[in-house]
Amino acid sequence: MHLTLEKLAPFLGSYYLVLAVMNAVFGYFLWEHKKNIRQAVFWTVVAGAFTIMASIAYSGQQKLMELVSLPEAFRGFVDGNLANPALYTIGTSAFLVTMFLFRKVLVQPVVAWGLLVLALLLMGLSMADVQFAEIVTKPDNVPIVAMVFLLGYFTWLATAQAVKNDERTARGEDPLEKLNNEKILVWPDLVYTELICMVAVTAVLTYWAVGLQAPLEDAASSVKTPNPSKAPWYFLGLQEMLVYFDPWMAGVVLPSTIVAGLMAIPYLDFNKAGNGYYTINQRKFAYLVFQFGFLELWVTLIILGTFLRGPNWNFFGPYEQWDAHKVVALNNVDLSQFFWLGLVGYMPKAPDGASEIAKFGWILWRELPGIIVVVSYLALLPPFLGLTIFRGFYKRMGLIRFMVMSNLLLMMMLLPIKMVLRWTINLKYLISIPEYLLNL
Amino acid sequence: MVDPKKMSVEEILAACRGGSSSSSSPPESKPALAKDEPSAATGKPAASKPVESKPAAGKPAGAKPGGMNTADILAAARGGAAKSEPASASDGPAPAKSAPGAKSPPAAKPGAMSVADILAAARKGAGAAKETAAEEKPAAKKAPPAKPAAAKAAAQAEPEPVSGAKDTSSILAAARKGVKPGPISKEEAKQRATATIEKPEKSMPVRPAKPAYAIPSPPVAAQSDRRDFFAVVAGSFLAVGFSSFALTNVVWLLGLARFMFPNVLTEPPSKFKVGFSANFAPDTVSDNFKAQFGVWVVNTVYEGQRQIVALRTVCTHLGCTPNWLEAEQKFKCPCHGSGFYKDGVNFEGPAPRPLERYAIQLADDGQLEVDKSRIFYSEKGEWGDSASFVAV
Repeated sequence: MHLTLEKLAPFLGSYYLVLAVMNAVFGYFLWEHKKNIRQAVFWTVVAGAFTIMASIAYSGQQKLMELVSLPEAFRGFVDGNLANPALYTIGTSAFLVTMFLFRKVLVQPVVAWGLLVLALLLMGLSMADVQFAEIVTKPDNVPIVAMVFLLGYFTWLATAQAVKNDERTARGEDPLEKLNNEKILVWPDLVYTELICMVAVTAVLTYWAVGLQAPLEDAASSVKTPNPSKAPWYFLGLQEMLVYFDPWMAGVVLPSTIVAGLMAIPYLDFNKAGNGYYTINQRKFAYLVFQFGFLELWVTLIILGTFLRGPNWNFFGPYEQWDAHKVVALNNVDLSQFFWLGLVGYMPKAPDGASEIAKFGWILWRELPGIIVVVSYLALLPPFLGLTIFRGFYKRMGLIRFMVMSNLLLMMMLLPIKMVLRWTINLKYLISIPEYLLNL
Repeated sequence: MVDPKKMSVEEILAACRGGSSSSSSPPESKPALAKDEPSAATGKPAASKPVESKPAAGKPAGAKPGGMNTADILAAARGGAAKSEPASASDGPAPAKSAPGAKSPPAAKPGAMSVADILAAARKGAGAAKETAAEEKPAAKKAPPAKPAAAKAAAQAEPEPVSGAKDTSSILAAARKGVKPGPISKEEAKQRATATIEKPEKSMPVRPAKPAYAIPSPPVAAQSDRRDFFAVVAGSFLAVGFSSFALTNVVWLLGLARFMFPNVLTEPPSKFKVGFSANFAPDTVSDNFKAQFGVWVVNTVYEGQRQIVALRTVCTHLGCTPNWLEAEQKFKCPCHGSGFYKDGVNFEGPAPRPLERYAIQLADDGQLEVDKSRIFYSEKGEWGDSASFVAV
């Protein structure tokens, strides 16, 4: 915790200055090329506002800086009332669903630009908070911040293209990619673009390497684990998964299933539409399942793990002090304990001196409720789904493909289900056989 | 492809063309001719041929020397003789032109516009009504149901039926009329064909005589001299190279194997003394042995009995090292948030089972001695083992 407002001031000032220039250029673009004078004036005014904010931020004085930071009350409210994993997940899900439902409005360039500026402004205002700045400017976390914005950009690009194509299809026209599809401009169009990209990437990487210190830590020791101990940023989704599962499950089975499932997609997909062009309406199921798996179950978990998980892997608000002694009451209980202790009143246990086989039988008896639940989830639910809501899928895919698809889908849904169960009833494991390292 | 012994229809056609018109050179048109051979040579009606002749329909005959087909040749033949306009070929469907009353000559089979017909038309040379063969062919192809009509059109195309031209052979023979009327023998036909179609002789280049240096010399009788000594001792350079290479690899492998046995032992001894039991006050956790030995020595109450136990400092979830939090009185793992009570029993986070115990006992001198080589698992009911704790 060495960061202070004085140290932050030059960065924040430049940050707002860059925002001002961005908006001025955008306004000029609207004026010159779109002849949209009203909007050009609006964005120029925004640019002016950012210039004023930049000069305030450059000052680095406590009193003045309060003008360009979020109010204390708001930050306290966020940390105190909103900061828990359940609300975070519900919030991000709601956010993504909203983005999906209103995609036709949100992908318009001016609206998208407005969202980008709002996001950058929110980040700038939050950065005036030292706790937040500490996390965001940590060399480890810079790529994640970049990733959030890059991902936003590319998602917008694809969605905008898909929305355009869907509108064209609704009018009975060909998708945009089909026009002019005989022509590929290679020289000099593509080659020059590649050259420019090469130069730009080299410049960014050089600046990055020079400007940011390598995130080195203390010498490794087998008895000292950094607190919090975080995986590389791209594995933070896995680490978050490990909070809810046995290491075998979240570290081996589920990642393998993800890889195998991604490889299986082309063989499971029976929808011929959308080949070679962006579309959402023609492939709604595939689009939603993939985006749910990627954006919700992978990317938001990376963001959660990076910015919101602190010492002892506790959940911290974005502006909250990382206190290693924060007490969070978590008393996790297995399903078998719920069933036997809660409903029956005793826990089945093998009598002393029982043989190994008898002990195994007792373990199975103890875990019977969980086994029944899991087996019915993975074995009985697919046929049920095939007969009800996925009836059309079953008819078009055939038995084997449908079973593979539905099982992959159910494996994916295990994560959110397990998360919800952990938050609501503090469930630890459905099946808990630590004797044989088998927990689910 | 073309059997030289047989006189094919194409060759006859070529001969015909060669005699009457010199618009294209025979060698060039040969491949195209060969293509048509199978159907024509068997004398079958070639009504299915229009596909091939179609491209030629709209073109002046002989304009395409490279890819000549029968139609082209026919058109060329006709053009040389009669100077009719092939350009009119593609206008209008032929059935419209056909006169319903026109009776077909004996040679014209209904529905089968054969090469023979065309040949007959070509042969006629001076025939006035030279509707092009190409015109008739698209008609035959375009309207399969109207084939009889097409045939009629063909019939109309030759208002003067050839007397006696009843079958293919005689028609073909008639086509050779400039040479000799009536049937001819194969030899005659061949002569006729070779006169016009000059088939390039396949000539093999003469193999040059072997130069002197290529002639193998008779083996020299083995001599025994001083050089053999080195060959015996060191072998060839190749043998030396590979031997040393193999030797180097063996040494490498041995060196690699040596890495498996480092000559330092970094592990502390698995059996060590931690002091007298009086040093461990009730309900305390000693963090002193964590850094060096990876052990917490805990004085706690487990199942109603006060005991001193040695807990292993490895989280049972994924192997991180938890921290003892004095304020909260719990072990807490920084990796995924697993929590353990003071006695090592898991209660929060994903850890599936309690921390593990090392064996602990009172040594002869009264100190507590921890033995890391034996581990006791709670979930297997081993914490009841008297070696896993020291009762206080």
